[in-house]
Amino acid sequence: MGTFHDTTDPLHGITVVAEAGDIVYVGRCHARENGTIVLLDVDQHSEGEDGKTNQEYLERAAKFGVWKKHEKLVLSADEVNSLVPLSEHFKRPGEPGAKPAVAEAEVTLEAAVAAPAPQALATLEPLTATAEAPIQLTDAAASEVVRLLSEENIDGQGLRLAVSGGGCSGLVYNVEFDQEKAGDIVVAFEGFKVFLDRKSTIYLRGVTLDHQKGLSGKGFQFHNPNASNTCGCGESFSV
Amino acid sequence: MPYPEEMVAPMRAELTSFGVQELRTAEEVDAFFADKTGTAIILVNSVCGCAAGSARPALKSAVGEAVRPTRVATVFAGQDLEATARARELIGDVPPSSPSMALLKDGELVHFLPRHMIEGRDAQSIAADLTAAFAEYC
Repeated sequence: MGTFHDTTDPLHGITVVAEAGDIVYVGRCHARENGTIVLLDVDQHSEGEDGKTNQEYLERAAKFGVWKKHEKLVLSADEVNSLVPLSEHFKRPGEPGAKPAVAEAEVTLEAAVAAPAPQALATLEPLTATAEAPIQLTDAAASEVVRLLSEENIDGQGLRLAVSGGGCSGLVYNVEFDQEKAGDIVVAFEGFKVFLDRKSTIYLRGVTLDHQKGLSGKGFQFHNPNASNTCGCGESFSV
Repeated sequence: MPYPEEMVAPMRAELTSFGVQELRTAEEVDAFFADKTGTAIILVNSVCGCAAGSARPALKSAVGEAVRPTRVATVFAGQDLEATARARELIGDVPPSSPSMALLKDGELVHFLPRHMIEGRDAQSIAADLTAAFAEYC
């Protein structure tokens, strides 16, 4: 029962690890054709990145999955040393090296309501807007935020990005100036801060906020690699 | 956009037919997670035939064994959006995937079966993994 794929490639739709030198890619194998390997919903890790070896990264990826960085990636088959299912890295309870799900995944209801930042972003200080921040703003969007904050003479507030139910595709983006609230994930940009509530962060991770000026410009626009459907106006999406 | 309800109704019934508690709102999810005693497993359901089509019977088989979690619940990804988002928030900082299964003990995540450990596998293999996890933690 359910929706099925129409292909005979045994790796089609399977989450795989593609090793290419010092880089490992983890994503769903969509196609292997014409000397290329097409992966969807892809994360990648380089040896030593974030202080982890690729093996350590793959062990965690096998246990929990990955946060995708790319919607689609086309790799040259010549550059890929190895292509295996990610499941081969999964350690079952009782196997050597198997550990319980790590404490960083621990979130109680009280913690979610009182909302200190999740362990993976565990800091009481604002995050810096680096490439690893959960959301990004283009220069145009950041400039517009700074301009609006200045024009509106809004002190002590930042830009709140959120997701709520509704719209023709199921979820809608919300953009507003607001105070920081308990439990917010805070990302510091030059001249302002962005506030994300923890629930919205699940849907906003990987999103880039852009801004288009002018009469034909659409204003603030969200580019969301996680969206599977986006309505024509770009205001509503689903995952 | 969610699939028509009449299309997913059988996928819901496949779980509720053996006593799985459906959590369809964020409030129901909060109430489920508020009880931190004992063990619980939550299946994030999906319309995907090659994964969820095996996950559901696997769960049915595994919870039919003597050693099993006290409580069994499900949220439906892509259908009950707020309930799924809330469950993912409370399960912990793990990447969203569906189908997937989270085993909790005393309110803490102790074992997680992500999509890639379900896709392309038969129900018996998945059930064996669940049974092994239940033996370890329940």
